[in-house]
Amino acid sequence: MSDFSVIGKPVALVDAAGKTTGQGKYTDDLSMPGLLIGKILHSSYPHARINRIDASKALALDGVVTVVVGADAPNKYGILPVGHDETALAVDKVRYVGDNVACVVAETEAIAEKALELVDVEYEPLPAWFDPEESMRAETDLIHEQRPQNIEKEYHHVFGDPAKGFAEADHVAEGRYIANEVTHAAMEPHSTLASFELDPQTGKPGRLTVWSSTQVPYYLQHKLSIVLEMPMSQIRVIKPLVGGGFGGKSEVIPLEIIAAVAARKAQAPVKITYTREEVFWAHRGRPRTIVDLKTGVKKDGRITAVAAKVIQDGGAYCSYGVVTILYSGALLGALYDIPNIQYDGYRVLTNKPACGAMRGHGTVNVRFAFESQLDEVARAIGMDAVEIRERNLLKPPCITVNGLRVQSYGLPECIEKTAERSRWRERKGKLPRGRGLGIACSHYVSGAANSIIRSDMPHSTVNIKIDRDGGVVVYTGASDIGQGSDTMVAQIAAEALGCSLGRVKVVAADTDLTPIDIGSYSSRVTFMNGNATLRAAEAVKKQIVQSAAKRMGCAPEDVVMRGDRVWKKSAYPEGGPEAALQAAPPDAPTVSGRVEGQILRGSVQQKRKEEGPKDQMSFEEAVVSAIDFHGALTGTGSYAPPVEARGGKHKGAGVGPSPAYSYSTQVAEVSVDEETGEVTVHKVWAAHDCGRALNPVSVEGQVIGSVWMGLGQALQEEMVWKDGLLMNPGLLEYRSPSAIESPDVECIIVESVDPEGPFGAKEASEGSLAAAIPAVANAIYDAVGIRLRESPFTPERVLAALRAKQADAKRLQLSGKVDPTHPETFREHGGSLSYRGRGAARHPLDPAIRRKSGAESEPKPEQGAS
Amino acid sequence: MSLPDFQLLRPKTLTEAVARLAENPGETQIIAGGTDLIPSMRQRLFTPRYLLDIRGIPELHGIRQTAEGLEIGALTPLTVVEHNEILRHDYHVLAEAAGTVASPLLRNMGTIGGNICLDTRCLWYNQSLTWRKSCGFCIKKDGDLCHVAPGGKECWAAFSADTPPALLCLEAEIEIAGPKGTRRILLSDFYTNRGDERTRLANDEILTRVFLPRATSGYRGTYRKLRVRGSIDYPLAGIAVAFKAANGHVEDPRIAITAVNPAPLVVGGVKEKLNGKTLTTEVAEAAGALAARTARPLTTSALTPEYRREMVRVLTKRALLDLAAPERKRS
Repeated sequence: MSDFSVIGKPVALVDAAGKTTGQGKYTDDLSMPGLLIGKILHSSYPHARINRIDASKALALDGVVTVVVGADAPNKYGILPVGHDETALAVDKVRYVGDNVACVVAETEAIAEKALELVDVEYEPLPAWFDPEESMRAETDLIHEQRPQNIEKEYHHVFGDPAKGFAEADHVAEGRYIANEVTHAAMEPHSTLASFELDPQTGKPGRLTVWSSTQVPYYLQHKLSIVLEMPMSQIRVIKPLVGGGFGGKSEVIPLEIIAAVAARKAQAPVKITYTREEVFWAHRGRPRTIVDLKTGVKKDGRITAVAAKVIQDGGAYCSYGVVTILYSGALLGALYDIPNIQYDGYRVLTNKPACGAMRGHGTVNVRFAFESQLDEVARAIGMDAVEIRERNLLKPPCITVNGLRVQSYGLPECIEKTAERSRWRERKGKLPRGRGLGIACSHYVSGAANSIIRSDMPHSTVNIKIDRDGGVVVYTGASDIGQGSDTMVAQIAAEALGCSLGRVKVVAADTDLTPIDIGSYSSRVTFMNGNATLRAAEAVKKQIVQSAAKRMGCAPEDVVMRGDRVWKKSAYPEGGPEAALQAAPPDAPTVSGRVEGQILRGSVQQKRKEEGPKDQMSFEEAVVSAIDFHGALTGTGSYAPPVEARGGKHKGAGVGPSPAYSYSTQVAEVSVDEETGEVTVHKVWAAHDCGRALNPVSVEGQVIGSVWMGLGQALQEEMVWKDGLLMNPGLLEYRSPSAIESPDVECIIVESVDPEGPFGAKEASEGSLAAAIPAVANAIYDAVGIRLRESPFTPERVLAALRAKQADAKRLQLSGKVDPTHPETFREHGGSLSYRGRGAARHPLDPAIRRKSGAESEPKPEQGAS
Repeated sequence: MSLPDFQLLRPKTLTEAVARLAENPGETQIIAGGTDLIPSMRQRLFTPRYLLDIRGIPELHGIRQTAEGLEIGALTPLTVVEHNEILRHDYHVLAEAAGTVASPLLRNMGTIGGNICLDTRCLWYNQSLTWRKSCGFCIKKDGDLCHVAPGGKECWAAFSADTPPALLCLEAEIEIAGPKGTRRILLSDFYTNRGDERTRLANDEILTRVFLPRATSGYRGTYRKLRVRGSIDYPLAGIAVAFKAANGHVEDPRIAITAVNPAPLVVGGVKEKLNGKTLTTEVAEAAGALAARTARPLTTSALTPEYRREMVRVLTKRALLDLAAPERKRS
């Protein structure tokens, strides 16, 4: 297929051994002498002013070292320059149940927990906002004073002429879709260890080192510098092994700042590890979203216009919110050819934990709505679901109506292959009742073309050093969070240098050692850090080739690096890399024997052994000769997205553009139990265009993981709210799928070979998630004829929809009276919460209290009796 | 979340265990598998001064056949109950129900005695101390109000163990040891149907054995569990069905339900409706309606009560129909 030696091969991840044997160290595994434990006191109130914090009783407890409060570090920060609205700990008020109020630092976790109960906080409850549409009407008691109507940000985009587009349509569909809130549920809870060194000159706390489970060590360094008022150069952030992020660690999470502030105040190293409940409060997950969508099509299936109004319930802080709401609109484009687009997006603040970036950032809920509605219009015009998608393909290279540049485009092949493998054409519409097929497509950026902090500086820089031992050390800022970026970097370096994978060692994500990489988010690492690695490797290779050419008496163009050796082209064996390995002398790939002696005793002896021009050399020989020639062997490579890929000029145009987009298509086969409403997914065929699969087994893992995560949101996962209180802050009641209901996923890798990706590669980790949800929704419709417009499609929602269709059947009343086929608003948990003077008091104007005086009746035990 | 401080007591005999328990009743809690107790202690739902670890008492382990039936030691792991050949064959409904509890790892740790004594569950109760503060606590723990029940004066937390309805169908008895000796009662007399004081086990007593009578040996039976995930989840509703199969009709039928009331309950009126009948769809539906009438789910879980109640009806009907035609593959 190709003549690559390392890439395109299913190699084991380079950090696999530590993770599978338990020897790998995650942040919470770390310790050091004198380590103290921090525990955070969280707000019990959704919205309240803090009048007073009295920590004296806590401080009096034996073993308590200090108590940190908001005033200890009041500087505001936030991941986005436009959204600096967070402080380490609440300064004047709390904004959600779970907000951070104080941090106790003690000798043990148990003491810290005891002390938390002794911190006395006097709150003054304020009216709280829980429903985004209600919140948007707020005039007083704003969540942040600088955000009128509690609107974090709104955008109104018009591309082309939507009115004309709809007028030309033969059929227009309109509907409201609701996606409930989901969170990452990464296996590793967040953990941070912060430690100051004493400055030897002053004896005061000097340099800070922070080990943290983060996707963005460089942003963490930056935000720490803002809050602690320290130069960035005095702060070192190290990312140990990370047990999954999915976006939940792609910004600075409160504990990371709090641990550092606490370490400074305690004058000792401090570690904080979140409980699972705290992870749910830190959240930054996918906001619950209302999508009012309108699609117009011609009889021939061509889309004439799309209008979307999106309201996101963002929670109490900005987080990535502005970016999320922009992605929701921008990535209406770049999948299909849509000539006219209208987009109205509202990111709304509510008194709930902050939402942020989550796998498929901003695109997933809108994609659910869009792909569902596309099926609806296809049915209305009597067209097959595969065909309508094929009718609306882009013709790349092109620039979409909203300014997105599309080059490689594997979508047609994705559609074709999934239809073929699932035997769509033979089986669609012919399955027995209760069983159905559904198709949907999705796409995602391979990194944002514009960084969060706008600049023309590179997004990634990679250094490579090769020393006399012949070892290749790659210094990369890329943060491996389990997705395999360390392996990707090693593979690219090995491929470019023609050496074996075992020769490459990756030093990653340490702000003191590795040059900047802006982080593992927006699926940017393979594309951007991969390109920087490739460039760094090529820079080193150039030096090796130059000296090797001299030694072998040929032109640099005639030097081949392959199979852990350097060849004169004329001597390079026919039959590519495998043959090259065969042809190499048996001792060549190791650092032993004759070669080792030469290296250790330096180049003098090597010169003595010079036997005239050679036609091949071992990697070590070539390295030594290059060091001889150049003095040292290092190379640097950087990547900045090209100007042409950075998008249009309109307000908000910065989000959405990417140097390349990945494409996905999925067919889901489901059956629906019409008596219980249970949906079983039997199989998913998932095609993903990742440009080129640098490591196919890794790509498959990412695609299958995306599909399963998408199925979780489609069928099971949902954060259940009652007046700002999260009813299921744990993995027992927040039901991520278990292995049992995770179906067989047939992954089909499509390689469109992107002109700018490293060896043609694009992203593989996010794009497949979004298609899973509408594929299931469409399959449910195919199976039993109900159109679910509210996710997740839990058995009760499915059953309610089925019953609503059968005129004589008993209606099933879901609480909040939300009809999942025509949802109007978010539903709240049905419990009859009563705050009347007990526990954390609520303001009289809270919805919880207001509803009490209204008509809503409390549930009765005999309710629903026949 | 760390565990609260406690002192661990490790008796070697039942006599010693009863004596230690009697020393500080009310301040001592019994731990066997710990799968339910330990998380609850972390959440500060329980802060006992003493934990009485009964795992070292040999006589509480194992399954024995006796003249009157089968005797199961309270410490028998659920995995053993699930796989025991005699149980699978003679008391199938119990083995099947045990196999649905939580996940394989938890079944290795969890015991049949623990499952019988399982604490009742509610979304307003099984939460951390911090969480519970923010809703002003509930009547089951630290508060004076039930969030899910009308008037809020009684606790309606749902009894959420899988094996008790199966045991009820089999007319199981249990043995309880206390300072005054041992007593033996019907399991159906053990539960109070109150969410807070859920059982009639006094605070100085230990559940020691479960007895399955010879009379129900060989009963055809099955258990159906409503849950969202294929593993791990507590039941959102559970239905156990058992009867004596005789010449194509049903004899001595019993249905018991769990997770939809503060106790596992035997469905009343089943004998009258089903005895001597052939299991037709009509008969099964009538039984389903009876079971649904016994179910009183409230908003103790994320699924709506209406749905859980409806599933009691559907799953009861299905369980019966599946038993009527055991060769017919379940969908």
